[in-house]
Amino acid sequence: MPQVFSPAMNAVARSSIIAAVFLAGAATIAFGALYRSSFVTQVNNPRPQTVPFSHRQHVAGLGIDCRYCHTSVEDAPFAGIPPTETCMTCHSQVWTDAPILEPVRRSWDTGKPLEWVRVHDLPEFVYFDHSIHVAKGVGCVTCHGRVDQMPLTWKANTLRMSWCLECHRAPEKFIRPRDQVFSMEWQPDEPQETLGARLLEEYDIKVGQLTNCSVCHR
Amino acid sequence: MTAAVETSPRVYGVIAEYDDPEHLVAAARAAHEAGYRKLDAYSPFPVHGLSEALDLRRTGVPSIVLIGGLVGAAAGFGLQHFTAVINYPLNIGGRADLSWPAFIPITFEIAILCAGFAAAFGMILLNGLPRPHHPVFNADGFDRVTRDGFFLCIEAEDPKFDPESVHAFLQSTDAKSVSTVEHSYDVAQS
Amino acid sequence: MATVTRRLDDISPKEPVIAPGQTYGSITDLVNDVVDQTERPPRFWLAVFGIGSLLLMLLLNAVGYLLIRGPGIWGINIPVAWGFAIINFVWWVGIGHAGTLISAILLLLRQEWRTSINRFAEAMTLFALMCAGMFPLLHVGRPWVVFFMFPIPSTTGMWPQFRSPLMWDVFAINSYMLVSAVFWYVGLLPDLATLRDRAWRRWNDAPPPERKLADRIRQIAYGMAAIGWRGSARHWHRYEMTYLLLAGLATPLVVSVHTIVSFDFAVSVLPGWHATVFPPYFVAGAIYCGFAMVLVLMIPIRKVYRLEGLVTMNHIENMAKVMLVAGLIVFYGYLMELFFAWYSGNTYERFMMQNRLTGPYWPAYWALILCNVLIPQLLWLKRVRTNLVVLFIVAIFVNIGMWLERYVIVVVSLHRDFLPTSWGAYHGTFWDWALYLGTFGLFLVNMALFLRFLPMINVFEMKHLLHSKMPQPAKGEESR
Repeated sequence: MPQVFSPAMNAVARSSIIAAVFLAGAATIAFGALYRSSFVTQVNNPRPQTVPFSHRQHVAGLGIDCRYCHTSVEDAPFAGIPPTETCMTCHSQVWTDAPILEPVRRSWDTGKPLEWVRVHDLPEFVYFDHSIHVAKGVGCVTCHGRVDQMPLTWKANTLRMSWCLECHRAPEKFIRPRDQVFSMEWQPDEPQETLGARLLEEYDIKVGQLTNCSVCHR
Repeated sequence: MTAAVETSPRVYGVIAEYDDPEHLVAAARAAHEAGYRKLDAYSPFPVHGLSEALDLRRTGVPSIVLIGGLVGAAAGFGLQHFTAVINYPLNIGGRADLSWPAFIPITFEIAILCAGFAAAFGMILLNGLPRPHHPVFNADGFDRVTRDGFFLCIEAEDPKFDPESVHAFLQSTDAKSVSTVEHSYDVAQS
Repeated sequence: MATVTRRLDDISPKEPVIAPGQTYGSITDLVNDVVDQTERPPRFWLAVFGIGSLLLMLLLNAVGYLLIRGPGIWGINIPVAWGFAIINFVWWVGIGHAGTLISAILLLLRQEWRTSINRFAEAMTLFALMCAGMFPLLHVGRPWVVFFMFPIPSTTGMWPQFRSPLMWDVFAINSYMLVSAVFWYVGLLPDLATLRDRAWRRWNDAPPPERKLADRIRQIAYGMAAIGWRGSARHWHRYEMTYLLLAGLATPLVVSVHTIVSFDFAVSVLPGWHATVFPPYFVAGAIYCGFAMVLVLMIPIRKVYRLEGLVTMNHIENMAKVMLVAGLIVFYGYLMELFFAWYSGNTYERFMMQNRLTGPYWPAYWALILCNVLIPQLLWLKRVRTNLVVLFIVAIFVNIGMWLERYVIVVVSLHRDFLPTSWGAYHGTFWDWALYLGTFGLFLVNMALFLRFLPMINVFEMKHLLHSKMPQPAKGEESR
């Protein structure tokens, strides 16, 4: 009588198979959800910095232009992180004793640059150039969000490839006149479709080429 | 607890053991000809002639495999058509979006994969497996069925089933031994 | 059913597919006693497991260091961006082909001698595919985002490029692995039930105080795996149909897999790769190498486990014959490569062939000719085919030769680019070799565990074969 299992095991055996399939599916979905969550993407997650620099204070409060600090954004791939000298143009005069600015003064004294925590970090296999995006009418806000409302800087977008492709496949939905690139509050006066179509023409943007692999992966 | 009658096991059927496949086939044919329909033979390997003796015809497996293969082929081609033509056309060397000859290898592989899975899992499901517990395992010496034992079991569900006459019938078929198989309610007794 | 079926074993009737004197019970015991572990495992097993474990540790180190440092630790660089990774991948996949060939194609061809080696060869297929699969996975550089290559709605917003042979390869290898695994499991099902019942019998026969927990665990574990198989005629009826259909499905699959692997090369425009002879030549090469590996493993194993009664000299000789035929097809492929290079009149083709024969990698090419073409010609002699030691050595040479063949194809074609300014050289580094040797560890450990826990011969098919070989007194009664 080689009856190894009790009758209840029949139900257990069958339901365990169904459960295994269900669990595998659930795990896959859970992984996909986690991978897209802000826990992994860091979207909307303010990063602590050595000096709690506030874009809101400097941009919305004081009205400083983006290019005052990010000097190479119009000419180079890298927008530029300001050197301590840029900070000290003002902070040698104002808030000179603020304890919060102690690291800036130390950097100024020692000549050792401030260490910022990088918020927007693309993988090494992506070639990204700020200057071409600025030249073709992609606003700062389009990618970086309303920086003028960020007390500490956070990522407004995932910077994942599918997000890049949203615009590379259909730039007319996002581009703006060149003179409005650095504006934080610009809204189109006419429907974006007609404006976008006109600007594509004007700025000579060849949409078909924008999704070539070698545009970003060189 | 109180009713002793209820704890007495129900009869599942009467089982006979044979020495070799030839006797099993002969007995199975005799049983089928005698009009028994709820019966099954058990052997360590597929015995040719047994399916005919028990009048087993269609397996149902080939049609499942065909459906699996067709679904797989459609899914494989559909996946490539959706991704390469509808969702995200890519210009590869100026070829047409629907460059179907290049889609054939994957279509073929997915078709075979689905057909293979359909065959294996279809067979398992049609056989009512997994079923780790089965009353026939209560038969004495049934562990030999995976070694060198050949069994024929006439089940109690058969309309012609009658313990004495089935016993007598199986005895008449050159069986090595004949015994009654009972449903078990408590495996721990064994 | 065909009226005339000429079987390979008819050619040498003196050596039967089963030795005389076997019964259903004796076959069951012969194979399952190994698994039941009533005595200590033989020294051979301990040696295989021990060496395998050491090599497996080497593999883990090689993979770990690779994940930390990246593929820069390998010898690959432009122009030779495909090095050991693809060579070893193709080599292991090739070895994997013998299993399905034996279990599926030889089944359809009614070669009875396949029965005692198919389980073993299928297991070898699965383990070889595991080893093979590691290489492309590691070669992509960032294995943790390998799901980018799958057709899933990933965050790249992209889909795989289905017109690429590399993508076909992903699907071919994965389908092959899954179908082989299913085929193997279906074949194992009745034998798992045997193991369950044997464990139950041992446990039941012992007086309760002496009942071993191990036997109880084995009943339950094998019982779970056997999903309640009880040898019912209704089940066998569907089972046989399923097994036949799976064999029919696996046959085109196995041919397609190495064809697609050859497309990885043949669809490109590189001299030495872009050749129409590649698909049949690769499939034959896979069979060649796979049978050689089966022989390398089977010759010692049948001796150690005393399976000479089930794996007879007839089997060994038949495998040697298949190997010889496959080797001749491969040789034809080599001749065609030479002919095409000359006949094309193409400068680059001719240069490639001249470079292959006399360039910096000439020792690899001539060693390959020695191993794959010259030495296997010994198999024409029956004395060689039936001499286990010599056959074992020939099979090892074939395995080395097939590895060299892929080395020559990959490295020699790549290292001389079209532009002489882009010429380079390639040599495997320590980590290349460590990873390659490490996969042997994975293979050997898997093989050792398989020998220990699963029956290495398909017992129910052997019994079926034995039944068909027995004098059948009831034959007249059976026919209607």
